[in-house]
Amino acid sequence: MKSEPSFSETPNVSITITQVMAYLFCPRFTYFEECLGIPEHEETRFKVLMGREVHARKVKMNPDYLRKRINVVRKAVSVYLASPELQLRGIVDEVLWLADGTLAPLEYKFAEYRPFVFATHRTQLCLQALLIAEAFRASVMRGYLVYVRSKNFLREVAFRPADFAKARNSVQEVLRIIQTGYFPQQRGTPAQCADCCYRNLCV
Amino acid sequence: MLVWVVYDIEKNPVRNKVAKACLNAGIYRVQKSVFLGELNATQVDELALRIAKLIDETRDSVYLFPMCKDDFARVRLLGQAFDKELVTDEVRALFL
Repeated sequence: MKSEPSFSETPNVSITITQVMAYLFCPRFTYFEECLGIPEHEETRFKVLMGREVHARKVKMNPDYLRKRINVVRKAVSVYLASPELQLRGIVDEVLWLADGTLAPLEYKFAEYRPFVFATHRTQLCLQALLIAEAFRASVMRGYLVYVRSKNFLREVAFRPADFAKARNSVQEVLRIIQTGYFPQQRGTPAQCADCCYRNLCV
Repeated sequence: MLVWVVYDIEKNPVRNKVAKACLNAGIYRVQKSVFLGELNATQVDELALRIAKLIDETRDSVYLFPMCKDDFARVRLLGQAFDKELVTDEVRALFL
C-alpha cells in the first residue's frame, strides 16, 4: 500500500514569512491562528499600525537612494517572492545588489536598536535570503536591519549555515502544525505571554 | 510594572487626548495631570508612542516613570489619596 505523502512533499502549499515569525514567537500562535482560525487582530495594535505607516513611507521616500556605506550598486523595493520548493512566500522590503556580486535582504524594523539580534529577525532575514538566492540565482551571505526608532540605525547580520538550516526547519514545523493540527508546547517567556493576544485561550 | 504618567500640556484639546490615551491604556487618574497603573513593557512603550504623536514636543512635557513594587509600598499618601489597591490591579471587581 502506498503511504500518504508527508507534509513536506505536499505540493502547492506555501506559508508566509510572517507565519514563521509568529511560530517563532510561540508555536501555539500558529495553532490558534491557523488550525483554529482565531484571528490575531494585529491591526488593532498601535505599534503595528505605526510600523505599517513607516513601511509605506519608506517605499515612497527617495526611491533612488543607494546605501554607499555598504556598497550597494542597485536595489529593488517591496519585492514579492515565492518558492514552491521552499513552500514559502513573502515580501522583502529591499533587495540590495552589493558591489561584491552578492545580494542581501534589507528589512525595516519599527523598533529600537538593541545590542543583539532577535532570533525572529535573524530567521526572517534568512528566509528572505533563501527566497532571494533562488529567485535571482545569486549568493546571499548577509542581511541588513534598519532600526527606525534609533535614527535608522543600520545593522549587518552575517548568515551562518546553521541559521539557514534552522530557518528551513521552522518552515517545516509550521507546515506540520497546520497540516496535522497538533497542539504544540508553548515557548513564550512570561513577558511574551503577558503580551500575547491568545493569553486567555492558552492553557 | 507600575508606571506614573505626569504631564504638563499647554493646549486643552491635546491634554484631553493624552488623558484619554492614559485611561484607554488602563491606568488610573490620581490627580488632574497624574496617572498611575500597572502596565507591561509593551503597553508602556505603546502609550509613550501614542502620547509622543499627540503632543507638541517643543512646548509640552510628559514623564513616564516606572516604579518597582517595593518602592510603591513605601509611598506615603496624605489628604485625598487614591486607592493603592485599585491602581495596582489588586482589586479585581468593584461592588458598590
